[in-house]
Amino acid sequence: MADKPKIAFYWAASCGGCEITITELGMRLIDLGEAVDIVFWPCAMDFKYDDVRALDDKEIDICFFNGAIRNEENEEIAHLLRKKSKVMVAFGACAHVGGIPGLANLADTEDIIQRVYVTTPSLDETRGTLPQINHEVPEGSIHIPEMYDHVKTLAQVTEVDYFMPGCPPVVEQVWTVLQIVLAGQLPEVGSTIGVDGKTNCDVCPRQKGRSGLRIKEFKRPHEVELDPEVCFLAQGIICCGPVTRAGCGLPCLSGNMPCRGCYGPSEGVIDQGAKLLSAVAALIDTDDPAELQKIMDTIVDPVGTFYRFSLADSILSELKHKKA
Amino acid sequence: MSNHANTPETFADKVRSIPGGEHLEMCYACGTCVSKCMIQQKVEQEYNPRRLIRMVMMGMEEEAYENPTTWLCSACDLCYPACPQQIHISGVIGAVKDLAVEKGYTSPLETVSVNETLCSGCGICVMVCPYEAPHLIEKVVNGVNDRFSEVDINKCMGCGICVASCPTGAIARDGVSNPDIMKQIPRSVTKTDAPSMMVFICDWCLRADDDLAILESYPENIKTIHIPCSGRIDPQLALLSLRSGISGVLVCGCQPGECHYQRGTDVADCKMSILDRMFGQMDLADGRVRFVQIGTQDRGRIRKEIDQMLEHLTSLQEVC
Repeated sequence: MADKPKIAFYWAASCGGCEITITELGMRLIDLGEAVDIVFWPCAMDFKYDDVRALDDKEIDICFFNGAIRNEENEEIAHLLRKKSKVMVAFGACAHVGGIPGLANLADTEDIIQRVYVTTPSLDETRGTLPQINHEVPEGSIHIPEMYDHVKTLAQVTEVDYFMPGCPPVVEQVWTVLQIVLAGQLPEVGSTIGVDGKTNCDVCPRQKGRSGLRIKEFKRPHEVELDPEVCFLAQGIICCGPVTRAGCGLPCLSGNMPCRGCYGPSEGVIDQGAKLLSAVAALIDTDDPAELQKIMDTIVDPVGTFYRFSLADSILSELKHKKA
Repeated sequence: MSNHANTPETFADKVRSIPGGEHLEMCYACGTCVSKCMIQQKVEQEYNPRRLIRMVMMGMEEEAYENPTTWLCSACDLCYPACPQQIHISGVIGAVKDLAVEKGYTSPLETVSVNETLCSGCGICVMVCPYEAPHLIEKVVNGVNDRFSEVDINKCMGCGICVASCPTGAIARDGVSNPDIMKQIPRSVTKTDAPSMMVFICDWCLRADDDLAILESYPENIKTIHIPCSGRIDPQLALLSLRSGISGVLVCGCQPGECHYQRGTDVADCKMSILDRMFGQMDLADGRVRFVQIGTQDRGRIRKEIDQMLEHLTSLQEVC
């Protein structure tokens, strides 16, 4: 027992999809259970934070941390697990680049609280009940973790050794990475793991755009019948494939949906959304300023489209954070 | 006339037979095209479409192929509406270039090349190039059939629109790649009372030396980075400039219809407008990123644009 590597899984601001991808290992979970000692996995096993606190520093061999850093609890546990773990893996898009929770950086915390607790149509807005960080009850005082005004990635609050992207990371990649961990063959610290080659375009079998094929109108997938054989960009559908690291096995593209970019920026890309904008904007087809405006207007929600998963990791978020 | 069975085909006949070259003989050598040409003004004083057309008419085949005029024309077509004979001059020059390539001549321009280790074969360069220079090829590498971009250097004009759009940085030319430009952006700028600015300027949008001198006249906190075309701007470069602490970014391109590379200024307009919209979505829209299109008639306007932006940035600093 003592020789088995100790592994921890944790979820911060996430949807639970990363946990599901681990359970998708299916019968292989039994093999995993035999090979390692799971010391912390709040989603699936009964552990408390105090169990982690009781461990020696660096006692955990590897911690797979999923979810973004949204509140003080997320950050506290990130620091705790970092202290107790030899190797820290940012597991999944949220820990890696902020993921969907990172889109909250579009709004102010105050606006979010108002929307969620007051102006949502199904709520009784006359009650005006808002969560309080500290609350006194007869039994004592209750403290709930304070929500930050800004969603952060794991690497923005603590040192991360490896990044494993994906929303969620696909199960075969998870299995491969676990084998690498067990074999003690982890690559150079700082590497992105559980990924393949270059970008999704590199592995996408669709027919690519040809010379002079440009776009007069950008459309969203639900607005048109999509040709399953042809590059989405060539059809005027914004696809994140060109700037997104390969490794997912293209489940979205096989389902005739464009890549949403969950595997994060590919090699050489500094800011996933800005780079995608640089590629997509060059496809427009007009020399008339009025028409140009019309074509640009067909890109609905540019931040949500170009930075769907990586807003928290973007320079845009950084600038906003600095301003605040 | 030259189609007469007994007459050997002349150089002019050959040029005429290529689509674009057919209006050759309408030229009466007025030289209006020369006066409109940006290359003649900015790159090569010897550049002269009128002379090239004469060469063709006089059968000076080798001289025409070797003449820089044949290779430097980017088909911006500023001369086209000015020609009283309505000759599509870039079409004629293009016909001469096609013949030169057939004869084995190659472009003397600085052109892009593809690093296959980085290229993912996405085909974006193929779609965005104004000159149809890149195309996709398939070949077997390490036993696997893979797709790469390949550039016809005789078609490439070196505008860099593909360089900005290439997601992996595979397509580049010396001095124009993202790492090359990033070297000119400071890592961090100390905040002072005076705002700082980064001006990305298209190599073609300022015509006169005194306009260029205006850029030189500003103190060090107003930095200028020259790019071959505003279409070469990568929004990442604007964001990196702001991240370094520079207060504002101004991108200057040509007026629509005057772009040396046909579509670069439209591409830049699209990138910068959407970037601006994204700043708005993030509640950051405070005019720290701007794109201006400077026309051939706008002499001295660059100073006004920079001063106006500086004034705006100063007022922003005062608010903070």
